[in-house]
Amino acid sequence: MGLVRLVVIGFIVLTVIYFCLSLYSRAVRRAKLKAQWDDEGMTGDQDAFVTHGLEEYDNSLRRKLILGVYIVPVCFVAILIYVINFM
Amino acid sequence: MVYVKWIFRILFWGAFAAWLHYTLPQRDIVRIVGTYEERQELGDWTRIFWSKPDTQSEGLINRDVQFIQGFNSKDKAWVYRNEDTGWSWPPYFKFDTANLYTEANDAISTKDAPEWVVITHYGWRNEFLSAFPNAVAIKPATGPDMRVIPWFNIIFLTLLAAIFWAIYVRWRRFREARIDPVLEDVGYSWDAASDNVAERRGRFRAWLDTFKGKSR
Repeated sequence: MGLVRLVVIGFIVLTVIYFCLSLYSRAVRRAKLKAQWDDEGMTGDQDAFVTHGLEEYDNSLRRKLILGVYIVPVCFVAILIYVINFM
Repeated sequence: MVYVKWIFRILFWGAFAAWLHYTLPQRDIVRIVGTYEERQELGDWTRIFWSKPDTQSEGLINRDVQFIQGFNSKDKAWVYRNEDTGWSWPPYFKFDTANLYTEANDAISTKDAPEWVVITHYGWRNEFLSAFPNAVAIKPATGPDMRVIPWFNIIFLTLLAAIFWAIYVRWRRFREARIDPVLEDVGYSWDAASDNVAERRGRFRAWLDTFKGKSR
């Protein structure tokens, strides 16, 4: 029962963190693209440039690294269980 | 108002620090002199100082708990409880209570021929509340003066501080960009409103003063 509770609560908490991080990271990327546009004095459709940049970001490895929010704690717990009980 | 704010802050961070102090692992160098098992009543609020292992039902109000007795190099008594934490809080994931009890019994030594061990534990000892720290691991020590560096706590607290700082900086930036301008707007209109009231009151007073023979 305890394991079920840990998994459920852990999943909810990590999901909240995951979504916050995703939204924040996307917002940062958007701001960076706009800054790049201004710095390089580009002309034309800024929205299209930003949208294209965000699409590239969605397919990038950096975006997928946020999945570490789920992977790192699970590995950490596994290591902890081994160290505490079997070392 | 400033005092209230500071008292609130100190209370909050004090409670947080106490909670960390309770939860994070600490290590003592002791010689183990004995172990015992005692039935504990768990029916009142001091329940929070005992574990909630999986195998015991939540409704149980008393059960047997194992204890480990030790002395440190200054001959101060240390008594630890030995309980599973299971999958619940704090997240030590300790399931090897019986093994630890066996190790503790194996490490029992006398004052004349002491065998020093490092006991990792979390929790507080409180004589009035009958609270005991929970022993998590027993490792042999090189001697009573062995220097233990709390690497885990150093890394954990550094990371925690870094995360808090990162969130705080971003929150402050967000506040400066989005919330402060709005509040300033509100402030301006508040000032304008109170100026207006003051002016009216001044006019009213001037009118009252005309009864005392003053000219407007």
